[in-house]
Amino acid sequence: MKTLVRDLAIGLALAALLPSVLSSSYLLDVAAYAAVLAIFVLAVSVTFGQLGYVSFGHAAFLGLGAYTVGVLVAQAGWNYWATVPLALLPGLVLGALLGAVSARLSGAYFAIATLVVAEILVLVVVNWVDLTRGPMGLMVTTPPLPGANAVGWNAQQGYLFAVGAALALMLVLLRNLRASSTGRGWTAIREAPALAESLGIATARSRVLNIAISGAVASLAGALLIPKVMVLSPSLLGVTYSATGILGVILGGKATLLGPVLGGALFAVIPEGLRFLGDLNFAAFALMLLVVVRVLPGGLVGWLATRPPVARWVASREQRGADSLPEPARIAARPHAGATLLDVSHVSRHFKGLKAVQDVSFSVRAGEIVGLIGPNGAGKTTLLSMLSGFLPVSTGSIRALGQDIAGLPAHRVARLGVVRSFQQTALCAGQSVATNMAIASHLHRPPGFFGGLLRTRTWRARERERQAHALGCLDEVGLLPRQGDLAGSLPYGEQKLLGVAMALAAQPQVLLLDEPAAGLNQVEAARLAQVLSGLRDKGMTLVVVDHNLKMLMSFVDRVVVLHHGVKIADGAPQEVTRRPEVVEAYLGRAQQDRPEEVTP
Amino acid sequence: MTEALLQQLLNGLSIGFGYALIALGLTLAFGVLHIINFGHGEVVMLGALTVVMAGKLGLPYLAAVPLAMLVGLLVGWVFDALAVSPLLRRPEGRTDILLTTFAVGVLFNQAVLSVWGPAPARVDGLQGRLEIAGVGLTSQRLFVIVASIAALAALDLLARRTRFGVEMRALAQSEHAARVVGIAVRSVGTRAFLLAAAVAGLGGALLAPITSYSPMLGQAVLIKAFVIVVLGGLGSAVGAVTCALAVGVIEAMLGLVMEEGLAAACVYSLMLLVLLVRPQGLAGAPR
Repeated sequence: MKTLVRDLAIGLALAALLPSVLSSSYLLDVAAYAAVLAIFVLAVSVTFGQLGYVSFGHAAFLGLGAYTVGVLVAQAGWNYWATVPLALLPGLVLGALLGAVSARLSGAYFAIATLVVAEILVLVVVNWVDLTRGPMGLMVTTPPLPGANAVGWNAQQGYLFAVGAALALMLVLLRNLRASSTGRGWTAIREAPALAESLGIATARSRVLNIAISGAVASLAGALLIPKVMVLSPSLLGVTYSATGILGVILGGKATLLGPVLGGALFAVIPEGLRFLGDLNFAAFALMLLVVVRVLPGGLVGWLATRPPVARWVASREQRGADSLPEPARIAARPHAGATLLDVSHVSRHFKGLKAVQDVSFSVRAGEIVGLIGPNGAGKTTLLSMLSGFLPVSTGSIRALGQDIAGLPAHRVARLGVVRSFQQTALCAGQSVATNMAIASHLHRPPGFFGGLLRTRTWRARERERQAHALGCLDEVGLLPRQGDLAGSLPYGEQKLLGVAMALAAQPQVLLLDEPAAGLNQVEAARLAQVLSGLRDKGMTLVVVDHNLKMLMSFVDRVVVLHHGVKIADGAPQEVTRRPEVVEAYLGRAQQDRPEEVTP
Repeated sequence: MTEALLQQLLNGLSIGFGYALIALGLTLAFGVLHIINFGHGEVVMLGALTVVMAGKLGLPYLAAVPLAMLVGLLVGWVFDALAVSPLLRRPEGRTDILLTTFAVGVLFNQAVLSVWGPAPARVDGLQGRLEIAGVGLTSQRLFVIVASIAALAALDLLARRTRFGVEMRALAQSEHAARVVGIAVRSVGTRAFLLAAAVAGLGGALLAPITSYSPMLGQAVLIKAFVIVVLGGLGSAVGAVTCALAVGVIEAMLGLVMEEGLAAACVYSLMLLVLLVRPQGLAGAPR
């Protein structure tokens, strides 16, 4: 909270500086327009940059905010400056609606939905003439900012201060959000949606929240545009503003916070410079868009910046030294010793005609290490996906920690304490190892949205705990020295270990590992076995699917064998591998060798 | 009253068949390449412009229609070379393609505006009119229906019976698997994209005499095509054709009771509603 007040004070001081030194009416006008466009482009960058969703209709929010405030001022006689903050509300609602419509689908649907919504609003504005004056335009007169006179500012200077202050406020709040669990969740959803879900992040709800916030900010920008344009026309909702939003983000660089501000401001200035082009202005926009996307995917800021920003955790980590991690934070306490954590009862899963899993029942008790084995196509991964809530069961039931998980989305199953890893490495390749761990610690001390937004004292304390917990989990797999590296640059084996550490950071009661050793060389596999044995000694409950039977048999307590989707054996490793039906499943009828001796 | 309804049904169906071709192009590119061409509307506009120009040069309408397909193909090639093929290999290429196709579409639109100006133009299609039991059908509308059915049948045959069609469907199912079995994934993808553009050009040429040409037609058509393919389920050809016919008819019927703009707003809102309650589209299977 203290930092928030400080940052806001700095922002307000900067916002007051410009109107105090500028007196030219032309420059004041350009500067105010630049600040409004910067807010608008900042709003676009929330969905585009953070979520990776392209919007072709953000002007819908801009126009909605402008018309809401404009109608209230011009038709109902409200005071303009008192009405401006209300513009956040319609944007929030429309954003939530757009989010609800497209959050479960891909970004392509979002792009289409934004375009269509903008078109609907244009039709409404054009046809509802009583309210909006239709194509003739709605004239809105705005009084000078209250108090501007007292400090010797004219109306234009007061307006510039107001938009500057709004920009500063939005910048500070959005910066805080980006660095909080909410923002890290968006990063994870953009780079690896399934991983995010497995770590307990409610991906659909996060997307809706993101789009709603973006809509609210864009709507505010629309309201602030009124003193500049004075007459509201349907073109506010048109493709030119939407394209400006996209291009501003791309020019500035979508990965950064300040890039879009720069990109937006540029758009107040560039058209002045391009005025000689006349009607070809828009063609110049399009050409720039094409060239920048083709040539400079990182945007201007990305192109100017020589190295990507490193996670803040790295520095503070080095100051503290490697041994100061609190032991209890390393692995979450597990209360139900010996209790049944997973109870799989007559579970089947069909894909159209194919019966991938048929009538499988088994249970896993606290502290047990269960190997789930079987030849290729036996249904192991399908079963694991059902256990973690990624696939619904066709028939049967799964109880996790006493609760039936039927119908629960995967992130809710993760919250219950059943966390999976993925066969193919799943991580945010473009982020540092530390950031990946920060994302994975989402479930540790569940975060409050407003705490992160305002950086309250409680939030900062929890963030420190979260950091210690995440680094403890990273230490568990021996990757602490790697925390500053880009996750995608790690060797394959270490990426797999990072996957295990991330699953650990989500505080599982039961950890489901899908082929953790697949593709590892002998050294890497030995390191993994060591890590898993270490987890077992600390009392972690594990279900491991793997083909490396030699490694698996060395530390599991029990194996469940699947063949063609049916459970054919369940028992201690030495006993199970002697059973003829297991040998047959692996080797065919005639041979007598034991499976572990033929594994490469 | 019944006659007015029947009349609007026929009018809606003929427009709907034109929409079907346009939406099919969009959904084809999505189904095979998993991309969305945000410049698709401009390809349709250029198809319509082709019949306008051909008419000015004295070419008969029927000769201009195949020409419009050829123009669609060429424009599609430009789109592919500038905005699709070079980006497909990028990690976030499919998001970038939304932007690049949009940009190339705007460039085409602006080029047309600066060369031929913003004025709309009427297109004389086929002349004449049939009248059955008080319900009239112009030869042009009949031609749109017949030509669209022929084109749809030809596309169906292409997809089912030719090697290219099979390769295209394999690619639609799984790029990885298609590559593994030796399909030249890039070349098949490009040809599918060109085919989609040619079909869009045809759609523009067929609809131009009914709706008349304007350089701004691309934007309106694009939104309508989006609504149709989302209603039908992105990537579904059957869904696109059925929903195109439905949208044509619904628009025509709503036109009886309200202004055109509001009728359009109603149809667009229908899309949002469908996304909310049945995101896989009306024809798509649940995922």
